Amino acid sequence: MNRIFVLTPLIVLLIICIFSLVYLLSGKDPNKPPSALLNKDVPIFESSSLYNANDIIKTKDIKNKKTLINFFASWCSPCKIEHPLFFEIRKKYPELYLLGFNHKDPTSDAKKYLNDDGNPYDFVGVDSDGLIALEFGVFGLPETYLINEDGKIIFKFMGPITMDILKNEIEPLL
Amino acid sequence: MSSLVGFLSLVFAIGINFYLFLSRYIFKFQKQKFNLFIRFSSLLTLLSFFSLMYAYVVSDFSNYNVFQNSHSNKPLIYKISGTWGNHEGSMLLWLCILSIYSFFFSFTKNIEDNFQKLTLIIQAFLHILFGLFIVFTSNPFLVNSILVNEGLGLNPILQDPGLAVHPPILYAGYVGYSIVFSIAIAGLFQNTDDEWLYVAKKWSLISWTFLTGGIALGSYWAYYELGWGGWWFWDPVENISLMPWIAGLALVHSLMMVRGEQAIKKWIVFLSILCFSLSVFGTFLVRSGILTSVHSFAADASRGIFILLIFFIVTGFGFLVFLLKEPKKSNTLNLLFINKVSALVINNILMIIATLTILLGTIYPIIIEVLYNKRISVGGPYFNSTVIPIMIPGFLLMSIAPILSWQTNKINNSKKYVLAFTILSVLVILQSYFLNFNTWGFVGLLLGFWIILASIIAIFSSYKIKINIKFFKIINPHVAHIGVGIAIIGITCSSVFQNELNFNLNEGDKFNVNGKTVLFEKIETTNEINFQSLRGKFLFDIEKNQSKEIEAGKNYYPVSKMITSEAGILHQWNKDIYFILGDQKNNEWFVKVLINPFVSFIWLGVIIMVYSGLIAVSRR
Repeated sequence: MNRIFVLTPLIVLLIICIFSLVYLLSGKDPNKPPSALLNKDVPIFESSSLYNANDIIKTKDIKNKKTLINFFASWCSPCKIEHPLFFEIRKKYPELYLLGFNHKDPTSDAKKYLNDDGNPYDFVGVDSDGLIALEFGVFGLPETYLINEDGKIIFKFMGPITMDILKNEIEPLL
Repeated sequence: MSSLVGFLSLVFAIGINFYLFLSRYIFKFQKQKFNLFIRFSSLLTLLSFFSLMYAYVVSDFSNYNVFQNSHSNKPLIYKISGTWGNHEGSMLLWLCILSIYSFFFSFTKNIEDNFQKLTLIIQAFLHILFGLFIVFTSNPFLVNSILVNEGLGLNPILQDPGLAVHPPILYAGYVGYSIVFSIAIAGLFQNTDDEWLYVAKKWSLISWTFLTGGIALGSYWAYYELGWGGWWFWDPVENISLMPWIAGLALVHSLMMVRGEQAIKKWIVFLSILCFSLSVFGTFLVRSGILTSVHSFAADASRGIFILLIFFIVTGFGFLVFLLKEPKKSNTLNLLFINKVSALVINNILMIIATLTILLGTIYPIIIEVLYNKRISVGGPYFNSTVIPIMIPGFLLMSIAPILSWQTNKINNSKKYVLAFTILSVLVILQSYFLNFNTWGFVGLLLGFWIILASIIAIFSSYKIKINIKFFKIINPHVAHIGVGIAIIGITCSSVFQNELNFNLNEGDKFNVNGKTVLFEKIETTNEINFQSLRGKFLFDIEKNQSKEIEAGKNYYPVSKMITSEAGILHQWNKDIYFILGDQKNNEWFVKVLINPFVSFIWLGVIIMVYSGLIAVSRR
């Protein structure tokens, strides 16, 4: 009886630690919740180009091609970190359509940002009021979505994508 | 420059602690010299923390941490609080408080030298673990690789005076249990006399008092800043703070009751280890970002694993020592049907069950996600329907526990209590019957009033009333319980009898709240130093001459592009009228008004508890 009393905490500790460790090691990350949108149709959106207000992109324009959607802003420093990776993706997968949504940013700041750091996107849509981000369920910037040919979201990532994520999670889907 | 000073003094402090840790086995020190080293390392840790704070105050953006979390336009107080408003800085604060506790403990008199030394060596060990964690995974002194002249801003939701002081006080509570832990472990190793129990009592009271204040500040902040109308949300981080609080409560009571019974002593050691383990576990859950909540910062798996390892080492070490060195000789407990000891044992069991229930609810999402790869969240309904019923018999027992006898089943003046309880029950039944009846409301009110009444009867019938400090020290346990009773009444009323009204209004509209006419005067937008504010102005009770103005609205922080809601609260002693300004649609503003009865009682109850915690600390 006595033994059990003093052993129980150690057993409980072990169980808690094992579960937590498995959780951490399995790469589960609250930044990457199983998205409600995963395997669902991409939300309906309509946005004008950053460079030409008359150039409009709509949901049906990205049908029948694989699309990588990235939400970014000039004021978001993690976006700056992941930015160069999009050029790599660009080079490696010329077929992939890169769609950037500029989130809650003054136009001039956004243009300056893409001018300074380069523009890897096929199309930069303006999301000045954040309504498109709301439709996508964006939590915080940056966020990246991969859409397949059928217009279904097959991958979502919160936070800056890294080389690891690109290699292990995005490339297998391409 | 300040970053360099900070980093070097941190590393140096860890080095000294390492040296002291080895001193147990290799170098032998005299007590004086040993204590000097401990104090020196504490001061170095403090210096390291203040260097970081200095970098924040002068907006030194060559420090990456400052660059990420501050902005030169911030008011000074939020620059200072920015020091601990982020992961790295808050871990440094954690370490800093650990050092401060060691520092003061090194001045403790009347304890055996070897015992004090051993306690401080365990503290040094903890310092090393957390220090290395900071240096390797959460260094706040990293140099910014890009040259910038402006920072990225502090999380605007944290720009609040209440929240500026909430983390340090809460941490003072959490980390205070480290010293209790060290004392208990040292006590197990030395296994000599019972003197350590009295030392532990003081420190556990200090920790518990800080923890109470810290939790209350946090929930007060949530009440007026989150704009959800409530003050407790069973958020994982709130649960994490509640667990050591309940376990700490059990510990404090056990320490007050101990009369040399070995069984209770063993239980005290168990609780001491548990309290600190829960604190470290809480740190792990929050800092690893494993649970999502308002408190989460950016997650990083390596950080999580490192701190999980610390948790495993500390807790494993603690319970292993407990297993191997448990107090041996055992004299039986004087358990009767109802005496002080049995009341204590029952209450302790209830508190531990409550703690474990919260623990289960908090880690359940992790277990489910590992096993089934599904994300679930356990929230209010689970905790309300499990924790509260477990606590109720405890509260009932608490009302009479202080007047129970040690040796017999007899309760002095038992007739008085029965009579008072009967009258009170009738009154509460009548009140519930004529107003709106609600089972939980009835139970809560009866419990709250009963605890207060029983404590007052006990004070008047057991002691001669005098107005001096000594008298207040004697009646202190009863005063603490009166605080709990008042808080229970506040909790019950504000959650059970809350009233919600929704309106769609134009500027200039009049509407009715609680029989009083309210005028929605106007919407005002202004530019403040670091945010834009949108405020709806309301005039409450315009029929009277002294109508009160209430402002509710939102703040927009351009630097971090965040909107925070600012509830407008009209405080009255018996209710809070809580205004939330919603969105504008079709030229109409959505306004939500909550009537929260007796919320002020919660804060009053907490203040009384903190007061009696302080009195208890001062009592020898």
